[in-house]
Amino acid sequence: MRKELIKKTLNQWDDTIPDGLLERMQKRQSRRDFLKVASILPAGLLLTACDKTATQAPVETNSPASEKSPILQQAPWNTFTAVHNHLFPKDNDSAGADDINATLYLKSVLELPGVDEEDKKFIRDGVTWLNGMGQQMYHQEFYQLEENHRETVLKRIATSSAGENWLSLLLLYLFEALLADPVYGGNPDKIGWQWLEHKPGFPTPSEDKRYYNLI
Amino acid sequence: MKDFDVCIIGSGAGGGPVALTLAEAGYSVLVLEKGPWFTEKDFFKDELACCRRSVYTPNLKDEQHVLEEYNGKNDDGSYKWRAEASSDSGSDFWNGSCVGGSSNFMSGYFYRLKPKDFRLRSEFGAIEGANVVDWPIDYAAMESYYTKAETAVGISGKAVAHPFLEPRSTSDFPYPPTAEHAVSGLIDKACRDLNMHPLPTPRAVLSQPVDDRRSCEYSGFCGSYGCSSGAKGSARAALLNKAVKTGNCKIQPHAKVYHLRSDESGKVIGADYYDENDAKQTATAKIFVVACQAIETSRLLLASTGPKHPDGLANNSGQVGKNLLFSAGGSGTGEFSYSQFDNALAEAMKQRGPFVNRGLQDWYYINDKNFGAPAKGGTIDFLFRHPNGISKANGEKWDDDGKLLWGKPLKQKLKRVFAETKYLRFEVFNDWLPTDDCFVSLDPEVKDKWGSPVAKIRLGYHDHDLKVGNYLAEKSESVLTQMGASNVRSSVSGAPPPNLVAGGCRFGNDPATSVLNADCQAHDAENLYVTDGSFMPTGGSVPYTWTIYANSFRVADIIKKRL
Repeated sequence: MRKELIKKTLNQWDDTIPDGLLERMQKRQSRRDFLKVASILPAGLLLTACDKTATQAPVETNSPASEKSPILQQAPWNTFTAVHNHLFPKDNDSAGADDINATLYLKSVLELPGVDEEDKKFIRDGVTWLNGMGQQMYHQEFYQLEENHRETVLKRIATSSAGENWLSLLLLYLFEALLADPVYGGNPDKIGWQWLEHKPGFPTPSEDKRYYNLI
Repeated sequence: MKDFDVCIIGSGAGGGPVALTLAEAGYSVLVLEKGPWFTEKDFFKDELACCRRSVYTPNLKDEQHVLEEYNGKNDDGSYKWRAEASSDSGSDFWNGSCVGGSSNFMSGYFYRLKPKDFRLRSEFGAIEGANVVDWPIDYAAMESYYTKAETAVGISGKAVAHPFLEPRSTSDFPYPPTAEHAVSGLIDKACRDLNMHPLPTPRAVLSQPVDDRRSCEYSGFCGSYGCSSGAKGSARAALLNKAVKTGNCKIQPHAKVYHLRSDESGKVIGADYYDENDAKQTATAKIFVVACQAIETSRLLLASTGPKHPDGLANNSGQVGKNLLFSAGGSGTGEFSYSQFDNALAEAMKQRGPFVNRGLQDWYYINDKNFGAPAKGGTIDFLFRHPNGISKANGEKWDDDGKLLWGKPLKQKLKRVFAETKYLRFEVFNDWLPTDDCFVSLDPEVKDKWGSPVAKIRLGYHDHDLKVGNYLAEKSESVLTQMGASNVRSSVSGAPPPNLVAGGCRFGNDPATSVLNADCQAHDAENLYVTDGSFMPTGGSVPYTWTIYANSFRVADIIKKRL
């Protein structure tokens, strides 16, 4: 299976996506942007039925960087972590993906209700495609690559519609980890709000009033 | 279940005034609401709950719409339409399914219509391709109810004399304006420099506590969010809580009405609904009031066939669903760098919480040779870019060439957008002309989770709407430029804002061309009333909610006299 994937060209990646999925995802994105501008009311996302039992799933809060969370050393989280840190690197005066718990946050998104199952599968599948591209270009998994090779691989996949959408979705959830209320596990100690001087509203949600407790 | 005097379907701005008026008068009222019953204790400034997950609106896979958009022309010149289910496109036309409806999530920009809005056809003449008609009532019939809503809903504002002020029976609003941002003074100055008349925008937000509702607490997150202080004048906080306290009003959440049952005489005899466990129930009453917001009201009537209503309730002239309205216009933005202000002003500009509260109605009627014949214009409102952080960041992840940004360039852009720049926006509201290309019908294939056909909405618009919108956008841009903003730009299109919707059951004197009479009573079902925005034959050039509240109070008095 993997060998087959490695042989696929970028265009063939796009062919592996179910009919219409990319178009729908792009539309959702543009609709949201439109609604954000034009609407006083929320632009709801395309969501799946909520599984009430899953709302009990623990959300890891205030977790430190990936080296302190063993789960992040394992597939597929090691790949997500490598991508996150490349997309949103730490620098001298600002936090990076590890500092905002980007991967643990994404893990909770994939486990909780509220996000379309089709989107979740697409996010998970992207890891296989990305590592296939790493193997094809450098004979290594993405997380094993050195930084400039990571950049080359991501630039390559961003030229395909599927790859660009995958990165775009990862950025969306990375922004959630950066700017959602800390009660959801990202943005520990309001680090994202402080960096961007973002003033949140009030009151903020308590643990028993997270969105999945309300649906 | 007992037989009620009145059964109201829908608990938003159209249902609330009827429920309160009749419950206070001692009549028994049942309100059937499809969604849950949230209170102030359930509303937080949580962007995920508000705007990124479906918490206050249905999951589109369970309940959706089919949207028909313009898709070019056939060889004979007729329009082609492309239909798509909203669960496929992600285009969400729900605005708030819970007790209080979408009024929980409004920004509360409240404007009255003006006298000429009630007689557009007489004032400005016909427009080819548009179904413009006069209303069967005039402004005078509505004025006392606009005034009543100011107190009952809680509208804060300041009535100032200006060339476009509509007649008022009271000298001022019952509550002073909400706190204002430093930018409001800058807007005033720029407008006056340009010889314009900036107006304080009335808001359905309390500036002081009233009964068990607290004053606005100015968190700066208002539109799209449920209000945790009770200051926002939602039908729930302002009206339904009071109605319930009378002991005469029962609110039934999780009650999805799918059919109104009618008898051999054409009268409505029951509201069939699914309860929380999806079990079928029927509510009975002497009078039925439908207020599900325009699209769902038309859908329910079309689905409610009966012996005297073979094509749907109140649809014997084929008018239900027709002449659906949105709000035409668009929006624009200008940017201010904090570094262009002195320190004190920069700090004031960074403040979050107080409202901008400024609008312009200098071109509510356009009398400009460069535009053409005198025409109906509209309203301009100023506001800040929505404070939602995630959606703001997500909108910035593309570079100018449409390529995805990441790494250092992305972080630098975020820092600039969030911490160094203030975005002042404007929104243009002008009439969405009623046409034969904007209407609701039942989709023949797509069903909701209970098996009922969903509403199919054709979303055509009239080119005149764009002409007016562009005219107003140009005026708005001139204000931002005068203020010293950079990157001033705007966008006017025929894309409908789903939260500004009315029409579909327009009222009128002729049963052949309208669904309701001047009392908002169905022409062909004598115990059926419609009190949401569906009744409006033309929309005016302001958000609809104040007019919906006022009209619902008016119809409530009519029903009260009858009971």
